[in-house]
Amino acid sequence: MRTALQLTTTFLLLVLCDSAGRLLSWSLGLPVPGTVLGILMLLGVLVALRRIPAPLGRVADFLLAHLNFFYIPAGVGVMTYAALLAEDLWPIVVALFASTFFAMIAAGLTFRLVARFTCGEEDKP
Amino acid sequence: MSDIGIKLIYWDRVLEAGFWILVTLFFYYLALRIQRALGGTPLANPVLLASAPIIGLLWGADIWVGDYQQGGQALIWLLGPATVGLAVPLYRNFARVRPALLPMAASLVAGSAVAVLSAVLIGDAMGASVETIRSLAPKSVTTPIAMGIADAIGGFPSLAAAFVIITGIIGAVFGAFVFNAMGIRDARARGFAMGIAAHGIGTARAFQEDEVAGTFSGVAMALNGIVTALVLPLLWLAFAG
Repeated sequence: MRTALQLTTTFLLLVLCDSAGRLLSWSLGLPVPGTVLGILMLLGVLVALRRIPAPLGRVADFLLAHLNFFYIPAGVGVMTYAALLAEDLWPIVVALFASTFFAMIAAGLTFRLVARFTCGEEDKP
Repeated sequence: MSDIGIKLIYWDRVLEAGFWILVTLFFYYLALRIQRALGGTPLANPVLLASAPIIGLLWGADIWVGDYQQGGQALIWLLGPATVGLAVPLYRNFARVRPALLPMAASLVAGSAVAVLSAVLIGDAMGASVETIRSLAPKSVTTPIAMGIADAIGGFPSLAAAFVIITGIIGAVFGAFVFNAMGIRDARARGFAMGIAAHGIGTARAFQEDEVAGTFSGVAMALNGIVTALVLPLLWLAFAG
């Protein structure tokens, strides 16, 4: 019972940070998304506490492990644009695949190159 | 239901939303079981495995997608609080994130530039319409930001949202193979590159693989969203507008 209450309170803390972030971003017209401000707020709380409360660790780890779940409605939403996608099908398919690969390769190789000269590489199989 | 006065809560809609959330949960559970049975391979991406049968169900039973999204909207809203949880692994792994500031900055600049330029150039070379190209430009950043950018540069926000999701799935499914082929084994580099190219869906995959990769992916996703939102509309209007 106590655990359930703790987990609920923790979840509400996440909702509070997210909502406060969205409100701040919207009201000040900031280019930073509200959720990112929410991450920074929660990070501020953790820095002030100097530790991660156990229920917060549990809730956050659980939600992040199942982040895919929250993206499913967005995946379903793609069907709405099937007709629009079909218009330029091949340019879209090639551009999305190739550019996602290129971006991953560019970002990954750049990270590795600069890490080698600054903080060192961490090779993990 | 009474039809006098103002209804505060539309119980039929709440029930309908709840039903579709349960349907989503069911297919998510099924997708996880399939992925586990296949040894956790990224090819069995849960977003893809769960949304495909739901699309099939809606099409087959001739159900309007808007009905499904009564529940879908609630989950999309919950994505915010779930993402805020990123602060926890970020705090936990801060000792590994802080010394990697320079590699992250360089990777951010290179990755975001390549993501935008290659999509636009390929789309243009293959004869896509101007609206398609403009909607392709922000495809590597999270949905709300991408929609705002597409709107600012004259694309279709909703089409951009579809590109964002497809991009995320491509990155999550093939990322590990691309990194292996390029000999990139550093979990920080793999995670960061995943977050740059494939935003939240890539980050969800990175967390399935390794907490450090997930953390770096989350940081990359946030930074790329901010930088692309700030820089892309300005550059676009300066050079292409």
